[in-house]
Amino acid sequence: MSAQAQTALPSYTLNCRMNQEAAALERLCQVVRVRGFQISRMSMESADDYLDIALTLSGSRPIAMLRSQLEKLHTVVDVGLQEQAASARAVSA
Amino acid sequence: MNGAQHILEAFHRHNIHTVFGYPGGCIMPLYDALVDDVGVEHVLCRHEQACALAADGYARASGEIGVCIATSGPGATNLITGVANAYMDSIPMLVITGQVPSGLIGTDAFQETDILGMTLGIVKHSYLVDDAEALPAIMEEAINLAQSGRPGPVWIDIPKDIQLTEIEAPAAATCAQPDPLCPEISDALAMLYSAKRPLLYSGGGVSLGRAEDSFREFANTSALPDVVTLKGIGNPGKNNPHSLGMLGMHGSRAANKAVDECDLLLVIGARLDDRATGKLDGFAPNARMIHIDADAAEINKLRPADLALRGDLNRILPAFTEALKEKPLAIAHWQKQCRTWHTTSGFQAADNEEALAPITGPAFIRQLSRITPDDTVIACDVGQHQMWVAQHYEFDHPRHHLTSGGLGTMGFGLPAAIGAQFANRRGTVINVTGDGSFMMNAQELATIRRYNLPLKLIILDNQCLGMVRQQQELFYNNRESHINLDDNPDFVAMARAFDIPALHIERTDQIRRGIETILAYDGPMLLHVAISREENVWPIVKPGASNREMIDENRRTSTSKEHVA
Repeated sequence: MSAQAQTALPSYTLNCRMNQEAAALERLCQVVRVRGFQISRMSMESADDYLDIALTLSGSRPIAMLRSQLEKLHTVVDVGLQEQAASARAVSA
Repeated sequence: MNGAQHILEAFHRHNIHTVFGYPGGCIMPLYDALVDDVGVEHVLCRHEQACALAADGYARASGEIGVCIATSGPGATNLITGVANAYMDSIPMLVITGQVPSGLIGTDAFQETDILGMTLGIVKHSYLVDDAEALPAIMEEAINLAQSGRPGPVWIDIPKDIQLTEIEAPAAATCAQPDPLCPEISDALAMLYSAKRPLLYSGGGVSLGRAEDSFREFANTSALPDVVTLKGIGNPGKNNPHSLGMLGMHGSRAANKAVDECDLLLVIGARLDDRATGKLDGFAPNARMIHIDADAAEINKLRPADLALRGDLNRILPAFTEALKEKPLAIAHWQKQCRTWHTTSGFQAADNEEALAPITGPAFIRQLSRITPDDTVIACDVGQHQMWVAQHYEFDHPRHHLTSGGLGTMGFGLPAAIGAQFANRRGTVINVTGDGSFMMNAQELATIRRYNLPLKLIILDNQCLGMVRQQQELFYNNRESHINLDDNPDFVAMARAFDIPALHIERTDQIRRGIETILAYDGPMLLHVAISREENVWPIVKPGASNREMIDENRRTSTSKEHVA
């Protein structure tokens, strides 16, 4: 396999609060994937009627676009952008 | 009252009187409840995909929610294309499917599929009902959600046992609609007044927001030159002198030139789809952009807006209109320039004066446009005929043009026309289709016959997949691959087999009489129109290229710069 150039993508942490509903996590992950981001870390806590999810993800598209798409999900109560690292993911052969 | 009866009770509460469906094992309790319900007309289509597409057509034509029903497993999976179609075009739709009994979910039971999981990406929202007491509230929420904000399909998957369970919960109260944002428009007006070459760009969001009248008044008052997307056709009306028609891949040179030259783009209810914009880097390169939309996620999605207003068009546009009545725009030179472009570079198709000449698609559609009443609903399929309709039929209202814009679903037109005819039983509804598309839902001829729908079917038959053939010719060195349909059935005989009379024409002098014959017939009728296999849709932009790089009939690529005065 030929060597690939190092690719560094911006990394973000999103905190999502979702209603406890069928397929809530699947919906979240599907939107992240379809909109061109990759999840590198994920944690979830169940609290009362909610799911609190922290996602560390990377992607080349604007994070505001992903955030607005997640906010469209009926099950999503709130999406917060926690921090932005300079770069996170490096892909090499 | 059991779960199935609660579903029907919700229909009544929301004035849902027509639903499209197909019964089966796990939805039988609902069908049993329908036996005793005289307030809901159930339309039995012959394939679940057609149920969803008919519900879609009903919603597009009426502005009301469309409802489709199917059983679990294959019934549900057959709905998927129709639901994806509704999702892509933001059509309000309620989808109800039966599911295997709760205790069998996850056991690979007969006709069990995880339809909730399969369809997450094509619904606005979805539910798997796991508690019978929650069903009334879910019905209420789903019906409201499908129609509020940016509309879309909402799917409720209901296990058979839940449909049979007696429910104590009262019917849910009607939800309040969310209050739209009230945007500040003074900044937008300042941009509009300072622009020298402002252009109005509207899409399907105008009719989805039921803002046809507000838009029309704004367009007339502002006298802005305007272009429309495929789904925005009809927004400005057929007599607007400033309208340049459709932009994009098969848009007019005039429309694409105006976009290229404008210095302000006022985008209303459009999502800047790639078929409309072409290569984004070259789209409206000199323009600032104001984006008005009901969906916040469309703002800045593909191109950053210099100013964005999110909310109800019926609140926003009248504010613009009132301001412009007080102080009109001073853009006479730009208006004149656009009118000149429209005259010299608009959609043109000369009528063939030679009586025995073969029929061309554009000439046929132009005749159709002249002969049919203004309130005719045209439901297209997908392909060359779809673009000829978009280019050459003059629509006076966006709800008169039903087309699969986002998903591009071959087979859409016939069931969508059925839905539109149920939305307007006495109106003139015509399905304009191609020979490829027609065969994808041809079984629905039986539905037309069963309900004796007076809709008219026009097949433009070039014995091939014309749009694919055209792109293979232009962009794949004319290497034709699997587009040949010269073994089509005899469509006239096929219609007659369903007890639908049919007529065949092939010469220019037969066009008028053919159209007038099917329009005059009191019942369904099919017109089979033979056209040339080699005919193309012009102009065309190569997929992925800039709209400046339009290719015309002489295979000449030219940029709009050549035509700028």
